[in-house]
Amino acid sequence: MNSTTSRRDFLSAGLALPVLSAGSRMALWQSSENPIPSTPSSPPKLSYRTLGHTGLKVTTVGFGCMITSDPSVVQRAVDLGITYFDTARGYQHGNNERMVGAALGNKRKQVVLSTKTEARDKAGQLKELDTSLSELNTDYVDIWYLHGKNSPDQIHDDMIEALQLAKQQGKARYVGISTHSGQQQLLPWMAQKGVFDVVLTAFNFSMDPGMEQAIDAAAKAGMGVVAMKVMAGGSRNQKLAQNGAMLAALKWVVNHPHVATTIPSMTDMDQLEENLKAMEGAFSEGDQKLLAAHLERIQPFYCRMCGKCEGTCAKGLPVADVLRCLTYADGYGQFALGRERFLELTSEQVAVRCGDCAECTVKCPFGVQVSSRMARAQELFA
Amino acid sequence: MRASHLALLPMLLAAGVACAQDYLSCQLVPGWAQSGPKRQYTAENLYDYKDGGAEGYLSYGFTRMQGIDCKSGGTTLTIDVSEMADADAAYGMFAANRDPRLPIVKIGMGGQIQPQSALFAKGKYYVEIVAIDPNPNGDHTAELRAFVTGMQERLEGRSTAPEALDWFPKDNLASTRLVPESVLGLKQLKRGYVATYKQGQAFIVVEASPESAAEVLKELRERFDGASSVPVGDEAFQAKAQYLDGICIFRKGRYLGGYTNLPAPQDAASQATKLAANIP
Repeated sequence: MNSTTSRRDFLSAGLALPVLSAGSRMALWQSSENPIPSTPSSPPKLSYRTLGHTGLKVTTVGFGCMITSDPSVVQRAVDLGITYFDTARGYQHGNNERMVGAALGNKRKQVVLSTKTEARDKAGQLKELDTSLSELNTDYVDIWYLHGKNSPDQIHDDMIEALQLAKQQGKARYVGISTHSGQQQLLPWMAQKGVFDVVLTAFNFSMDPGMEQAIDAAAKAGMGVVAMKVMAGGSRNQKLAQNGAMLAALKWVVNHPHVATTIPSMTDMDQLEENLKAMEGAFSEGDQKLLAAHLERIQPFYCRMCGKCEGTCAKGLPVADVLRCLTYADGYGQFALGRERFLELTSEQVAVRCGDCAECTVKCPFGVQVSSRMARAQELFA
Repeated sequence: MRASHLALLPMLLAAGVACAQDYLSCQLVPGWAQSGPKRQYTAENLYDYKDGGAEGYLSYGFTRMQGIDCKSGGTTLTIDVSEMADADAAYGMFAANRDPRLPIVKIGMGGQIQPQSALFAKGKYYVEIVAIDPNPNGDHTAELRAFVTGMQERLEGRSTAPEALDWFPKDNLASTRLVPESVLGLKQLKRGYVATYKQGQAFIVVEASPESAAEVLKELRERFDGASSVPVGDEAFQAKAQYLDGICIFRKGRYLGGYTNLPAPQDAASQATKLAANIP
């Protein structure tokens, strides 16, 4: 794609500025000389937070570039003032980094840019970082993450050495870890270790309340917190897509004071403009109702772990524990954690099949279909 | 004699089925042995293996993945076979992940082999092999080629790339891909093929009917101020747009196509005329 012509035209129209002021955003929004491919009605109101002790100021809504295919969406986001962009070496075998680098072009230094490595040792990581810099067409990234680490035992000393070396060499300004599960163990460990500047973590309204405590503790220790999976899989969840619930889900995270920024995936201009609205106001009662309604819809499937099960299992199964395993997998997308917890049951409990009982002796006061959910857990994990 | 041949038939058929099921085996290439158990993932738990990268697979209609690790000496080959929604989606996954700077080789519908990795698609299957070697500069092209050859012979399904790719004019064509959603960053263009040229890009989107294609074209036209009609295909408009520069979008039957990122709308319309002529 030839983006330079577009940028040149844009500059000649006198509309492109570095980190945009409100006035210039208004001018950009109202430009009719170079019509934008959308029909917005007002300029976005941006909100900013500081990313932990890095001191980097970031918009509370950032941009997860992972599945973005067209650079125009990234360019538009930069022009509208979004300041945080996230990619990874592994996304589309490196093609995503190349797209992001080309899209940012000469505006790269106006934004906070992060990428990640999945390499398993120091040499591999450093080689990947050099490749990332080349593909992103930059000589440094602002944040370099170890990609997808879910427990301290996955992080070896030589990996930390690679992170520190990258900082010393000026190839990464700050370093961190991205994590999809195990945060309640991992985040305190990161804070105690004292070598990580930022954590990129899954965080959304459907998660265990213990997650909020882990995030608060990480932020208080000075780590910058970046949230992903903020829509709880909502971009592929048609029910959540109804009635503005996706925006409500994003606002829920944005309004958490210890989350500096978020990285919703965006593939088109309309999603971009919709997500920007999350910075315009507080999480409202109406948003709360939308998310509560969504949780209500999934109630027959998800145990709220209240401990108020009526009756006990005739075969001695700890019903709440098994349903919690299923919630890890189905609700939070943490299959490995669910299976791990399930396999902590005794071998006799693991061998039980709920389908063998004519009637379940346990009832849920909130309507969870106990027997069928238990059977699903056994099918998934046993 | 004929009766004995008939008696062999069930055995031969059984052997054929077994062969088709053996595409995921370290024994395809002498000297390699399986290390650890077979991996299996579905759309529900692919995140456990691919982290955030799972989104890319899901966008192409991923249904399940099977994988093994094969070891020889100090080198491990990680082999993963993903089943996608259909052959077009498998090709799309391959096209999104291949290095567009390198040529596509004729493996199944298309493939690429590099010193430490190989990718190809055949039928609904998308195959990735990564070499893990203590030497970060090790060259495993030969071993990767041997595995790829063995696997593509055993995998069932189409070996031809999607027909629509042939409709893009070939002059100065750099690469083609299937975009699973929001072609050109526009949500109205839900899924389609995109060709990148030395200058500009072209696209083809297949709609369900001429009527739905006309509705999409109308919606798109309303997005671009100053759009003017041009005689391309059944109906078309051209415009100048921020980010997309000179743009021309046309409808021909149930197909939508066009050119973008050319210096002027007239240039886009001229190129779009050539593309429209190739669409049946």
